[in-house]
Amino acid sequence: MLSLQDARVDYPGHMAFDHFNLSIESREMVSIVGKSGCGKTSLLYAIAGLVPLSQGILRIKGGASACGIMFQQDRLLPWKPVVDNVLLGLRKDRKHEAETLLEKLGLADVTKHYPHELSGGMRQRVALARALIRKPALLLLDEPLASLDERTRERLQDEIKSYVAEHSLTLLMVTHSIAEAITMGSRVIVMTPHGVDFELHNAHHAETDLRQKDEFFAMEKLLRRHLEDLP
Amino acid sequence: MKYVKGAIVVMFLWYVLALLVASPIVPFPHVVLLHGIANFMNEDMHRHIISSLLRILAGLALALTMAIPTGIAAGRIRMLDRIVSPVMYLLYPLPKIAFLPVFMVLFGIGDVSKVLLISVIIFFPAAVTIRDGVKEIPTEYLELAKAYHLTRTRVFKDIVWPAILPRIFSSLRITLGISLSVLFISETYAARYGLGYHIMNSWVMAQYVQMYASIMVLSLLGLLLYILVDLLERTFVHPRKK
Repeated sequence: MLSLQDARVDYPGHMAFDHFNLSIESREMVSIVGKSGCGKTSLLYAIAGLVPLSQGILRIKGGASACGIMFQQDRLLPWKPVVDNVLLGLRKDRKHEAETLLEKLGLADVTKHYPHELSGGMRQRVALARALIRKPALLLLDEPLASLDERTRERLQDEIKSYVAEHSLTLLMVTHSIAEAITMGSRVIVMTPHGVDFELHNAHHAETDLRQKDEFFAMEKLLRRHLEDLP
Repeated sequence: MKYVKGAIVVMFLWYVLALLVASPIVPFPHVVLLHGIANFMNEDMHRHIISSLLRILAGLALALTMAIPTGIAAGRIRMLDRIVSPVMYLLYPLPKIAFLPVFMVLFGIGDVSKVLLISVIIFFPAAVTIRDGVKEIPTEYLELAKAYHLTRTRVFKDIVWPAILPRIFSSLRITLGISLSVLFISETYAARYGLGYHIMNSWVMAQYVQMYASIMVLSLLGLLLYILVDLLERTFVHPRKK
């Protein structure tokens, strides 16, 4: 689905990351964790086509238009009601589809509400609907649940995960939360500004009671140790 | 209700001033009010009001027709901003009212020169406000547009226009006050109709009650235009968290 070879992103005055290699198969769910400033968001933005690669090769099956991105902030347009936010840039005749999707995400009653009338969790669900209605083959998540409370976050993690599995999408998520990375990723990558430091295969990813399993805590401990050992 | 309260305060201060000055140059407000009501039905007064209203609306429409695309272009295209902004800053502080004689020579002594003067004076604050509004559109929204592959037309329609619409109404409110002042001055020259002309003519003829009645009508005209702007804003600017 995606391959990235020796990728590097530079901003004026500083480098975001370099020597990054990644290959993701279709229907795979990959989480990336790393210390603040290691270039996680820049990596996602480069894949989404928002920032250019300074070096390296990026290949996406279906090109950048195959990607759907959910940002850290919901970025809902305050002047548009929920359903129009979901339909941003799309034809109005897909309204029924948008409403069905919103209903699936538990937002049937708020389709005509404006973003400022919604809770943080609801806003992120709308942002998720906006990404999903485009039927992206590759869903990119940039810590979209970071600002939510623990319960809402876990509920949304489960919802996204089941939607991605049900619709055979590929998922790439960056997060600073180790627990979230394990919950969401069948593969967890520890990223540094100079490439991949460590990779963990999560064999228990599909299990529903994953958060209660001993293996979950073992993986969390292992990843934490790797992150702590980073310079 | 807020307008009634404001009117009561103005009337009270006016009464105090009239009592203190005790001269025909400051008549009592109730005398002016009664005169104004009696004259409002006068056909001549209607022509003064309509002439002023049309000049203001034409000046505002012309100014915004030029200011909106200029402001948007300067806000969106950095290279154009580098050229347009210094020109705007250079011309903005000029006392453009001093060019009224030039406008009269170039465009005649009729309505064209008056409307053009109003629109030229309004153009600069409106264009600068709109340009700043465009520049202040959060980059997150423009990134979102890029991530979702929005066309230029959709970026304008879905993001730029709704984002700057409150700014356009703000600039309308600011420039409305300016345009009323300019209207008054422009109508004091070579005009036969208009509230500015009527005010000055009443002053020259020492008809102070009539002069104040016309000032009151001009002020009411301004108030009505402000209310209209508020109504339009409520209709076209969608609710959003302040």
